[in-house]
Amino acid sequence: MHAGRAGHREQEKTGQGLGRKRAKNDDPAARRLAQMTAPVMRTLERAGAVAATSSLLWLVQAGAVAMAIGQMLEPDRLPGHPALYALVFIAVGVLRAALDNKVGEMTFHAADTVLTLERARLITREARRATDDPARPPAAKTATLAAEKLAALTPFLTRYFPARRRALVVPLVILAVSFWISWAVGLVLLVAGPLIPVFMALVGIAAKQASERQMEELSNMNVLLLERLTALVDIRLLDASERTTQSFRGSADRLRKRTMEVLRIAFLSSTVLELFAALGVAMVAVYVGFSLLGELEFGAWATPLTVSEGVFLLLLAPDYFQPLRDLSAAWHDKADASAVARELAELESRQETTFLGLGANAAPLETRAPLLARGLAYRPPSGRLIRFPDFDLAPGETLAITGPSGVGKSSLLKLIAGMAVPTEGEVRLGDLVLDAENADAWRARLGWLPQQPRFVSGSLRHNLALALRPGRELPLDAALKLAAADGVVATLPRGLNTRLGETGMGVSGGEARRLIVARAAHAHPKLLLADEPTADLDEETAALVTDGLLSLVAGGAALIVATHDPTLAAKMDRQIAITRAEEAA
Amino acid sequence: MKDIIHVLRLIWRAQRSALLRGTALAVTVVAAGVALLGLSGWFITAAGAAGLAGVGIAFNVFQPSAAVRFLALGRTAARYGERLLTHDATLKSLTDIRVGLLRGVLALPFDRLARLRGAETMNRLVADVDALDGIALRLFIPAVSAGVVYLGAFAILAWLTTPLLAAWIVLSLSAGVGVVLVWMARHALAPSRRAEKALQAFRIRLIDMLRARDDLVVYGRLPDQSAAVTAAETRMRENLEGTDRLERRAGLALSLTTTLSAGTALWLGGALAARGTITPAQAALGFFATLALAETVQPLRRGLADLGRMLDAARRVRKLLPLNGTDPVPAQAAGPAPQAQSPALEISGVSYRHPGAEEPVIEGFTLSIAPGECVALTGASGSGKSTVLALAAGLVTPEAGHILLAGRPLDSLPESDLRAELTYLPQRSVLLGQSFYEILALAEPRLDEADALAVLEAVALSSTVAGRGGLHARLSENGAGLSGGEQRRLTLARALLRAPRLLLLDEPTEGLDRPTAIRVLAGIRDHLPNAAILTASHRQAERDWAGRLIRM
Repeated sequence: MHAGRAGHREQEKTGQGLGRKRAKNDDPAARRLAQMTAPVMRTLERAGAVAATSSLLWLVQAGAVAMAIGQMLEPDRLPGHPALYALVFIAVGVLRAALDNKVGEMTFHAADTVLTLERARLITREARRATDDPARPPAAKTATLAAEKLAALTPFLTRYFPARRRALVVPLVILAVSFWISWAVGLVLLVAGPLIPVFMALVGIAAKQASERQMEELSNMNVLLLERLTALVDIRLLDASERTTQSFRGSADRLRKRTMEVLRIAFLSSTVLELFAALGVAMVAVYVGFSLLGELEFGAWATPLTVSEGVFLLLLAPDYFQPLRDLSAAWHDKADASAVARELAELESRQETTFLGLGANAAPLETRAPLLARGLAYRPPSGRLIRFPDFDLAPGETLAITGPSGVGKSSLLKLIAGMAVPTEGEVRLGDLVLDAENADAWRARLGWLPQQPRFVSGSLRHNLALALRPGRELPLDAALKLAAADGVVATLPRGLNTRLGETGMGVSGGEARRLIVARAAHAHPKLLLADEPTADLDEETAALVTDGLLSLVAGGAALIVATHDPTLAAKMDRQIAITRAEEAA
Repeated sequence: MKDIIHVLRLIWRAQRSALLRGTALAVTVVAAGVALLGLSGWFITAAGAAGLAGVGIAFNVFQPSAAVRFLALGRTAARYGERLLTHDATLKSLTDIRVGLLRGVLALPFDRLARLRGAETMNRLVADVDALDGIALRLFIPAVSAGVVYLGAFAILAWLTTPLLAAWIVLSLSAGVGVVLVWMARHALAPSRRAEKALQAFRIRLIDMLRARDDLVVYGRLPDQSAAVTAAETRMRENLEGTDRLERRAGLALSLTTTLSAGTALWLGGALAARGTITPAQAALGFFATLALAETVQPLRRGLADLGRMLDAARRVRKLLPLNGTDPVPAQAAGPAPQAQSPALEISGVSYRHPGAEEPVIEGFTLSIAPGECVALTGASGSGKSTVLALAAGLVTPEAGHILLAGRPLDSLPESDLRAELTYLPQRSVLLGQSFYEILALAEPRLDEADALAVLEAVALSSTVAGRGGLHARLSENGAGLSGGEQRRLTLARALLRAPRLLLLDEPTEGLDRPTAIRVLAGIRDHLPNAAILTASHRQAERDWAGRLIRM
């Protein structure tokens, strides 16, 4: 009963805890990022080294240009020929382009590897989580995480590491070279350079928070949207179209504002960095200009500065700042990635729940032994303990589980199907206890009628064949007839090739249920578990479906129905009633 | 391509002035960049030449160095303004498009609405619209600014240096860049389109897997579905890699082009300087301007890599958008006033056949219900009970016959009047909202708590709500934690809150045990004593409740 609320309270608590945790050094997001990049760290380091090498080659190109221009001005004093220097410029440029291409290739593959691993991890875990677990995120949220948010790691993985390595190496080399030629230029760069990382760190904090808020807003919007899109008909019928549109506009607007917040910080920081860089370059240019004119006689080791040296310094100055600016841009990518890592860490910190076995196809257990429930009790994730009475069920026997709504009838069916793990007691076939090893083979004997019919994308035929296992089947025609669903298929515009909406929209509730019964019958199960099989059916059709279920029983199958339809319950061999714990106590 | 232009027009129309200013600033940024580099190169070289010639004192350093500072600061400011303006305007337009799409979806005929799959529609509204942001930001604006600056650069370089050098620089760059971009637009189309398709398939299959998880596990299909998810993912990865490879190759080709252009410009400048046609400072101007011009194509490269994705998204978005684009639907004129003395619902001689069916479901059907009366339709599945309700609710149009609501023809009423007049509860409804209050408020936005509690009492849910922590306690996705019977009663409560004159209920107490069903039915009547009620019923409790039975 209180499962939902308790789960949400837990979530809120962890949500509030994040702020405090962030202050500490062992930030879960940072730890998660490190864990994520560990498998590709060597590739990324290598890519960084190649990127730094390519950047350093600019010194050679700049040198060639400086020599060419110097040669044009003083053809007699300087060796070589402008054409030769142009050739050097081109050759080194080609080499740099090739190296940069290599860096792109290496980092793309590293990112691809990380994304694939993370997606697999996420999907495997969430696909196993119990469906009654309140910690289970809405499907749209998990899908958004797997499809879009994880993709937000790509810019971080492809850009951050090369940018970091370049920022560590290139400015230092250029600084050393500048000092070697002119201590004044070196001094300008030395003073202007460190301002960039300081500013970057300040911006980084703001960027990270903005980016987290944006990511949160993105999943809020997607969750709300998917919810609304599954309820379009209801919205229309309740004349809530305009209101729904308006409230969607509200959440879309909030997302836009959050996005703009992130962008504004990113743009502002890159503007400020550009400003620093522009000022630094302008100072170098002014110094070089005045030196060349002979108006400044200090700053160079061998005054006056030559034209080539001046052009060389001027070409190097922007590239002294560029790696730092690239790193600050990549810093935003890191903020985005941290937001994703934080969400992953938060999701992983929730207790995992699971079902027995793999949910894979297996050869059914071959036994005629009866089904036995002994001392079964089940506590749904953060819910109350439910105790179930013992019972035996031989092949060909039928049993009704009755009791008021919400008492745990469906939970009992889940325990018998190995979809939930009993807190106490066991389910057996004769002496064989249902456990993780035999769960798939156990389920291969089952037919399953869920309370809420669901159809996966694809044709009706595909959906009906979902239950089939090799070697055991009732022909589709017979199964449809047995479930009184042959008439349903006949009325569909494209028959078995019709594609149905997710919850069977396109057929009525009763028709959807008959199709689900036909699906179960198609697989010719030995034990049929039916959750409210006659809900949404009129009496005549309900009687037809009941007859169908009973004719499966006549063929040797056992049947358990959870129902509060007294007519159906009366047709079963036995009934067991589940009562609420407080009433029983 | 037509679709892209259509979407561009939509984006442009909504935010014309911001985008115009943004584009002007984009041109300024690129032009200032070219001027800055060209001027700096010229300045240093000219200063060097003056220094060498010993005429340094006469050289006016202040104008060029002031211009360098102005250009550097101006470009920085313009870039900030341009990015902010264009991104904000584009995001605003995209929000309009998103809202317009939802509006378009909601206005679809009911039978199409019922067949929509949530996850696929979500792809349209989220992923497709996201894909459109590049149309203005990464294609149109960079292309316009590059074009303008190339032309301007040619004119100014021809004036400042020689037409030969200017022509060589601009032609070699634009020819090289043009070839690369055309090649890319042609080859990047398929993989980026396939990657997007695979991404959408991935999302749909994943949502299927998570939502139908229990069914898939029992039937041993979880690994199969998981394999289908992985297959979509693999396809997505392959195509993303293809896109990335193309983008990298294009980047390589562009780097080579600019290196060659700049290198040859240097060589040509040197040769012209050696001949004395131009000064070395002018040669430096040409070389540095080439370096700056090369930077204009980087944003276009990203835009073109995504072209396929944008094209497909634009096509799908355009199909779903209402004809009047993203504007709100104009308010319809009010229909005729209700006539108090007429029957609440009058159906006469109505026939209907399902689309494509040969036999009509109902033929010559006639029925009249007075206010306060309760009529139950009975009969086997498929006998047309639900069809009568759908006809009365205006979901489908009859082939023949008339339907009057309080004396007014049904088709004369605008949608909102129709929905205020009657409420239809279909067999299956979806709950929307994260608390009982929110779920109910969908029917009545100005709902107060007392009304909410009263209607919950009418459908015998008071104790359930109290047990779960009250009206505002949070519930899981679409009320999934509630039992089928509880969900049914909530949808019923939601319908009652509309307080219509005519209530159409399709098997209202399905999934409820008999005592609860009897309580709920009595609660419905007490809550709406004057409403005419038409139900499709098969349960004894509902038949006992109705004042009149009609066997179909």
